[in-house]
Amino acid sequence: MRTVWLFAALLVAAVPVRAQSAGQNSCLTCHSTQTDKRLSTPTQLFTQTDIHRENGFACVDCHGGNAAESDKARSHDAARGFRGKPAGQQQIAACARCHGDAELMKRYAPKQRVDQATEYATSVHGKRLATGDGNVATCASCHGAHGVRRVSDAKSPVFPTNVANTCAVCHASPVHMKDYKKADGSPLPTTQLADYQKSVHFRALTKGNDLSAPTCNDCHGNHGAAPPGVGAVAKVCGTCHTIFAQKFEKSVHNELFEKGCVECHSNHAILKPSDDMLGTSGHGICATCHTAGDKNDKGTLGADRMRADIDALKAGIETSSALIERVKNAGIEVSDQELALREASTKLTLARTEMHAFVPEQLDPIVADGAKIVAAAQRAGQDGEAELKYRRTGLAVSLAAILFVVVALAVKIKSLG
Amino acid sequence: MIAKTIAWLDERLDLSDIRHFVEEKGVPIHAQKVWYYLGGMTLFLLGVQIFTGILLLLYYRPSAAEAYESVQFIVTRVKFGWLIRNIHSWSANLLIGLAFAHFFSVFFLKSYRKPRELTWVSGIILLFLMLGFGFSGYLLPWNELSFFATKVGTGIAGAVPVVGHFTLRVLRGGDDVTGATLSRFYGLHVAILPAITTALVALHLLFVQRQGMSVPIAVEQKLKPGEKLRQMPFFPNYILRDVLAWYIVIAVLAALAAFYPWELGRKADPFAVVPPGIRPEWYFLATFHTLKLIPSHVFGLEGERLGVVGFGLVALFLVAVPFLDRRSSRGERSPLFTAMAIAGLGYLIVFTILGHYAK
Repeated sequence: MRTVWLFAALLVAAVPVRAQSAGQNSCLTCHSTQTDKRLSTPTQLFTQTDIHRENGFACVDCHGGNAAESDKARSHDAARGFRGKPAGQQQIAACARCHGDAELMKRYAPKQRVDQATEYATSVHGKRLATGDGNVATCASCHGAHGVRRVSDAKSPVFPTNVANTCAVCHASPVHMKDYKKADGSPLPTTQLADYQKSVHFRALTKGNDLSAPTCNDCHGNHGAAPPGVGAVAKVCGTCHTIFAQKFEKSVHNELFEKGCVECHSNHAILKPSDDMLGTSGHGICATCHTAGDKNDKGTLGADRMRADIDALKAGIETSSALIERVKNAGIEVSDQELALREASTKLTLARTEMHAFVPEQLDPIVADGAKIVAAAQRAGQDGEAELKYRRTGLAVSLAAILFVVVALAVKIKSLG
Repeated sequence: MIAKTIAWLDERLDLSDIRHFVEEKGVPIHAQKVWYYLGGMTLFLLGVQIFTGILLLLYYRPSAAEAYESVQFIVTRVKFGWLIRNIHSWSANLLIGLAFAHFFSVFFLKSYRKPRELTWVSGIILLFLMLGFGFSGYLLPWNELSFFATKVGTGIAGAVPVVGHFTLRVLRGGDDVTGATLSRFYGLHVAILPAITTALVALHLLFVQRQGMSVPIAVEQKLKPGEKLRQMPFFPNYILRDVLAWYIVIAVLAALAAFYPWELGRKADPFAVVPPGIRPEWYFLATFHTLKLIPSHVFGLEGERLGVVGFGLVALFLVAVPFLDRRSSRGERSPLFTAMAIAGLGYLIVFTILGHYAK
């Protein structure tokens, strides 16, 4: 079966490609009048916004046949390469005929990659298609067949903000996914979209308008889409979270955590991390493996110690910042302290990063540096408060003097009658 | 010593006219005379503004790059700079509040009636000038709130029919609020408006001195034919009361400056996202909120433009009040204009509160 598809693909690939000039197009003339929507909708979509039509390509470039003929039999002549609606491998080959041709693509999109079909063959979709599964996604499933837009077009189904919904067309459908299983035989979940929509990545992408925030294809790949294998998760996350990944890689947990980062942060429903996640008390997820209060467990002691250090530094920064803000608004010069507190916040960030090495001793110097800065800022803030008190005392004295004059004036006015 | 100095000056300049004026000038005594002090207090605060403004000028730098930093320098490094800046900011607000109170007291007492029409006209223009001072001064610290509020404020000026776009460009020094706007507002705040204000205040005071204090219609009507209202000498009886009021204003100002320092906020960043809750100073809130409530289109006309035209007409009406209120000019009670004053005051209070709490 694979050989047949490959042969078909080669046949299609052998047909020379050219962008047909806009001449008579009997395909559009005939199909646009069809009452069967399946036959007329493609012409509507193709004649609206379509990157291929805009670049001079016509129906016959993908479907074959002869657009100059108005007779159905002659226009749909197999001898003229008519192949109807390309599906499965035929579709991959039809798209790859141009998109895999580096010479041709230089004329239309010189920066675009030309290895999509090769990548696709390595994807779960591609591999299953090769085994004859016609239910998997092919090019048109994600990009559309007619009315294809540039990836950078916000209305394209593969524009970053639309990718998750495009994948979800299949992956969130229990009916569509019912026959697919994980490697361990358990059913493939269909909750990825719902989970992703709860994530910090989704919020950054859709609410924060950060198009660099990850969506499905950033972790799974696009044309070569596949779940990151065991042991590869940290590397996938590390693409963006580089330092965290480096720290984690050297940590004791790197060997122990089968799913890497996912063990603590989940995969699709990645919530905004907080300090509460650290430690064995409260919402601390270290308690999943380490028993809270177990003084013989080095892990419990280490996790709780790191949490206490980070909490202390955070509280110190908050208290000092509030104090500095208060005296600043009262007109006391504190720009040096503001700068110092920014440095303390950097130390806090460093401590949170260092924590991923899971060695409490490595946190100590960082937290100590931060605490020193906080203490200096606190002293400056207290000095500022003393200055404020002095000013208010001065005001009270002035007000007393003014009051005295007011009373004296009132007495004088009364004496005048 | 003072007597000797006066005698020395008298010998050379002949101060008899002034002495005669001071000795003869009287202020009518009646139950409403307390309102007379508002004008004096407003004038006193104008003096405070000029004094503190001149001190701030010694350090302030009117450019987008340095304005914020120079104000920060004033309040943090300059000896008592914080006090001067706080007094200037608080005094500006008290001044506008007292100017409004003075305006309404004159409106309610119908003190604008013949022969004091010109005193009223000069006073109304002075009120508008005070608002102009407030608007132009608000931008000068070049902080986030003032930057975006000025953007909105000058945008409203742009809605004036025919000359709107021209006015907007003149105010902003371009299409957007930039350092050029700051330079213009600075020029307006420290040169153009003070020059016009000084001339008008002089005129306003001249009118008041020439015509004396107005007596409310109700008090006049109670007088028997030929009866004259009791008067108190302006000097020293009335002037001492004025000074007493000024001292109270100083005490309030000093307390506000020390206990509620005027925040500097963050430096303006033209590329930053507009922070939530941008609204003008309290004295523009009623106007601002009204414009917000007007639908985008009314009878096919642009809502904001219609609102701006409406406010322009109200301003013109206010200037013309003494000429329209014929009853009070005949010395009769004028309930229609009293009702208008009540409606105007009620509108300002309600819409300022609504504007303050609006999201």
